[in-house]
Amino acid sequence: MSWLTPHIGTQLVDLGSALLLLTCFAIVAQRRLSACVDLFALQSLFLAMTAALVAFLTGTPHIYFAAALTVLVKVLVIPRVLKRVIERLNVTRELVMNINVPASLLICGVLVMVAFFITQPIMPFGHLLTRDSLAIALAIVLIGFFTMIARQKAVTQLIAFLVMENGLFLGATAATYGMPLIVELGVFFDVLVAALIAGIYTNRLQDAFDSVDTTRLSELKE
Amino acid sequence: MLNLLWVLLASYAVGMLLPLCPWQPKTQGLAASVCAIVATCSGIALGLFGLTAPEPFTTSIASTIPLLTFAIRLDALASFFVLTISLVGLAASIYAIGYVRHFHGRVSVAALGSFFNGFLLSMILVVLADNGFFFLIVWELMSLTSYFLVVTEHEKADVRYAGFFYLIMTHVGTAFIILTFLLFFQQSGSFSFEAFRHPEHPLPEGLRTFAFLAALVGFGTKAGIVPLHVWLPYAHPAAPSHISALMSGVMIKMAIYGLLRVLFDFLGGEFPWWWGFTVLVIGAVSAWLGVMYALMEHDLKSLLAYHSVENIGIILLGIGAGMIFQSYGLQELAALGLVAGLYHTINHAMFKALLFLGAGSLLYATHTRNMEEYGGLLRRMPWTGLFFLIGAVSIAALPPTNGFVSEWLIFQSLFLSFQVPSLIVKLMLPLAAAMLALTAVLALACFAKAFGISFLALPRSSHARHAEEVPWSMRLGMGFLAAICVFLGLAPMVVVPLLDRVTASMTGTSIAEKMLALDGWALAPVNVEFSSLSSPVLAFVLVGAAALGLVLVALFGGFRAKRYSKTWGCGLTLSPRMEYTATGFVQPIKRVFSTIYQPTVKLETELLEESRYFAKRRRFEFHIEPLFEKYLYKPVVAAVYRLADRLRIVQAGSLHLYLAYMFVTLVVLLLFAL
Repeated sequence: MSWLTPHIGTQLVDLGSALLLLTCFAIVAQRRLSACVDLFALQSLFLAMTAALVAFLTGTPHIYFAAALTVLVKVLVIPRVLKRVIERLNVTRELVMNINVPASLLICGVLVMVAFFITQPIMPFGHLLTRDSLAIALAIVLIGFFTMIARQKAVTQLIAFLVMENGLFLGATAATYGMPLIVELGVFFDVLVAALIAGIYTNRLQDAFDSVDTTRLSELKE
Repeated sequence: MLNLLWVLLASYAVGMLLPLCPWQPKTQGLAASVCAIVATCSGIALGLFGLTAPEPFTTSIASTIPLLTFAIRLDALASFFVLTISLVGLAASIYAIGYVRHFHGRVSVAALGSFFNGFLLSMILVVLADNGFFFLIVWELMSLTSYFLVVTEHEKADVRYAGFFYLIMTHVGTAFIILTFLLFFQQSGSFSFEAFRHPEHPLPEGLRTFAFLAALVGFGTKAGIVPLHVWLPYAHPAAPSHISALMSGVMIKMAIYGLLRVLFDFLGGEFPWWWGFTVLVIGAVSAWLGVMYALMEHDLKSLLAYHSVENIGIILLGIGAGMIFQSYGLQELAALGLVAGLYHTINHAMFKALLFLGAGSLLYATHTRNMEEYGGLLRRMPWTGLFFLIGAVSIAALPPTNGFVSEWLIFQSLFLSFQVPSLIVKLMLPLAAAMLALTAVLALACFAKAFGISFLALPRSSHARHAEEVPWSMRLGMGFLAAICVFLGLAPMVVVPLLDRVTASMTGTSIAEKMLALDGWALAPVNVEFSSLSSPVLAFVLVGAAALGLVLVALFGGFRAKRYSKTWGCGLTLSPRMEYTATGFVQPIKRVFSTIYQPTVKLETELLEESRYFAKRRRFEFHIEPLFEKYLYKPVVAAVYRLADRLRIVQAGSLHLYLAYMFVTLVVLLLFAL
């Protein structure tokens, strides 16, 4: 494959990262929960593809493994769990938001700029073909975090948490071509468990308050 | 010595685990006591070895945590405290065999026994620790185990309150101790006590003063100096009595240990005169106010707790005097003051523990702590009465008991202040002596009350009427301490050379030979010309005088004619209502010091409708103003509550808000990192 020069490789990785970021914005803008889950699955798929690309370009086989796990856990298992939770709870939409969609999108734009601004000084030190992705990874983490604050339903918060995790995975791939396999495995296991626990927690919340609105939790205060 | 240490540690560890086995409560209690007895016996041996050993014994186990090593150093000072802890611990463990029986079925004897061993172990480790980090860990362990022991009877609301109060106070104190250690750490770069002693850069003068004041507040909270004493009268009575004995007898002495360690070891015994003066003033005030409030207490255990405040004050008088002499370079007098302070430390440990065990026996027999419900117990509980009397005589500092010897030494060291060049100190030290004299007299009054009201006359309640002598194990525990009290009083010539080894390492001067006159039969404060005391001779004279009196009575026919009638009966039928009450007994003192007590007396009389000359019912109410709680603690607590109310806004209980806090912090930190 002579056409795949390092330059084109870098461009492709950047493209993959950009798609990830794009889906992030889509999740922020999306009100329907099931669509959010689909978007998350899509984002995870992009992540897996980007990771596989990096694995191919650098010839590091264990990233293939991580990519495969991403597909299995984040594209197949977790979305299915989430869909089931949504079905059982009968909540389809994020009705009331702490911050509305246009404002959220603007803030997310600012966050992307902040991420690029922060990573600017360390970019030149990198010599990997993935170095530009670091800023995007940080942006995804920040956007995920922000979504957790801006949305009220527990399901959305769980998705936002998983988005953050995706950002971290991208960051690890970008900065060091992935973490050691054992760490990667541990992280996947953690995410899976976290998703399951949050699913149960959401059900509990529904039972206790007849709603999955986490602002209701403040009623637990004295 | 290492073997002894291992035996000690192992038996405490076993003592912490063994009672937790699912046995009968009786077996659990016995297991805890037996382990503690083995451990304390090895502790006594370890203390004696350490006191006589020429060199400090050290050992250490490294740990993976940075700055922390489990370093142990048994020098003379540590040995003295190991000995004190173990002696009281032994008595308490023997006593516990019988005492915990009345807890059966009410509270967990397993937890009590396990924490009891843990408490003793942590105190031993506090004095053995040779690493600041290690010290703080075991210090905290000591506070926590004692907290759990205080709340043994946690089904009672006042016990829970006492425990909570204690927990807060002890943590405030620990915070100050951590501050002191951090200052030393900053200068030496290590938490090892060796590095504290010889830091790379000596502390600047201002920081030294700060370290001293922080240590004084930190350890003072544990010791119970005025005005940090308020937790003592709550926590000590709330605990089971053998625990009160340990807390009052030994645990508050750990603070004395810490203070001496910081002042004479880490700071090298070099300080300006006003440090010692501060300690002296605090000591005088604590001694006086402690006994003043003790007088007004009718709960026997609270009374004893206030006496702990008093005696810590007396100990600090000796140490403060020693510090003043030290700062003027009068090494021999400094050693005298410290010997006196340490002598009183071990004495107080013994007689206070004895009195608390005695109070526990009364509680065991009568199920009440209120003195107004005692009375006539000497006839029903002769052994307890005898032991309590020995303790009472000792704490009231009557010759020839141990309390007398140590208070006499403290008096002497205060009188010898005329050798100090500074005029103000010359004037102030006799004043402190006057305070001590007042304290001693009030203490005598207080124990005349405590013993008289509890043991003499007629029983004031059915509880007291049906009291029976306590089991042999409790008597044995008390008898052991009573014997030590008598020994410490009669044999200062054995004790002083041992104490001298402790103070010699602190002041660099040995004064044992100068203090023992007439082949050791008399005790002199450094120079014989000034004054001297021979307690064996004094004891002989006193006992002889009493015997002579009896002989004379017998000779002149006193025993021949016998008449049986009620004492002071005057033909009336005596009833308990005619007796002096505890409140009545201290009425004159209450009048004299009404400025301090600010008493509230309320007398309501309900008169008969037919005639205004006859009262149908009378209600008498009397209480004294808790000055420190009202004017010092309440404002502070109120301020904390106000602040907490403001901070409540931050704690909105909203998940999103908490996430937002984290998010903003993250972004701000990232931006700052640039």
